[in-house]
Amino acid sequence: MRKSTYEREPQELLADYADALRDGRVPRFLRALTRREAKAVVDGEELGQAMETVRILNQASFADKAVMPDMGLFIARVDAKIAWRLKHGKVHTGAHRRGEVPSADRAGDGSQRL
Amino acid sequence: MGATSLGYNPPPWPSTKSTDGRGRGSSRGVNPMNRQLRNALRGLATEDLGRRRRAMEPFVRSTFGLFAKCLYRYLGNEVECEDILEDVYADIWESPDRISPATNEKELVRTVYLYYMRKHLRQVYRRLNRTMALPEGDLLEPVAPQQGILDVISQSEMQEVVHQALGRLKARERRAVEMWSQGLSHRAIANELKTTVGAAKMLLYRTLIKLRETLSEYACENR
Repeated sequence: MRKSTYEREPQELLADYADALRDGRVPRFLRALTRREAKAVVDGEELGQAMETVRILNQASFADKAVMPDMGLFIARVDAKIAWRLKHGKVHTGAHRRGEVPSADRAGDGSQRL
Repeated sequence: MGATSLGYNPPPWPSTKSTDGRGRGSSRGVNPMNRQLRNALRGLATEDLGRRRRAMEPFVRSTFGLFAKCLYRYLGNEVECEDILEDVYADIWESPDRISPATNEKELVRTVYLYYMRKHLRQVYRRLNRTMALPEGDLLEPVAPQQGILDVISQSEMQEVVHQALGRLKARERRAVEMWSQGLSHRAIANELKTTVGAAKMLLYRTLIKLRETLSEYACENR
């Protein structure tokens, strides 16, 4: 059956969304929506409520089982991102806007690690 | 074939068979911040970029679990959670003004979701779904919805609330939700309930709407 001619009922949409959320593949679910289904997802009050409950159940049931990363590595990744922003001058602080922090100082900060 | 014989884990909340859903001890109320988190937030309040950068480590350590669980609700995928949180933390470091007034964990998670996570959630889906039928303006709701009163419930509190709400359902409805939470497919749920897949989907749909009403009542009572 062609995707464009097949419109899923709300309960089928919910079942597919619930499975997608549980399996971590929400983008695939969203990509498979037809325009009418997308409208049902956005406008359907009952469907919206059921989807909200699915999200809560997903968190209550599975969030504790999620495998968390090595915290040291993750912090290093965050720090690298901060360093990148410092280096490329993408930081907008109040002090910077007022011209109180010279760019040389900011470059110095960028070379330090946590 | 029972759920346990399939090797799935039981849901995180206790069995509801012998309870009216009201008898458990309550952990309701606001989770105050621990000292480490309070200190980290204080460190982030400074204008000095270097000090703020050093304050990120304790801040990440104290909040990663909270933020990751919040994001997991919308993504269901640890790797995507990590990628988004990386940007979220960098944004917090860059402009921490929004989170400074937070006095407890709930407020902090809510503020971070609304002001830092949502835009990244949207960006991720915009990037991944160029061919999506969903118009740009409508993308936000299914991907990064506005938070309702239910969304500020903490993880521990949530499990208790879900347990209580399940206790008020009919046995068949409760069984369907519990089996879904154990990871069973709709076909397996239908087999277990001795019905068709379509009927199992409809049962879950109706049950989830009912469950949402019960959860809303709880949230209103404890506002």
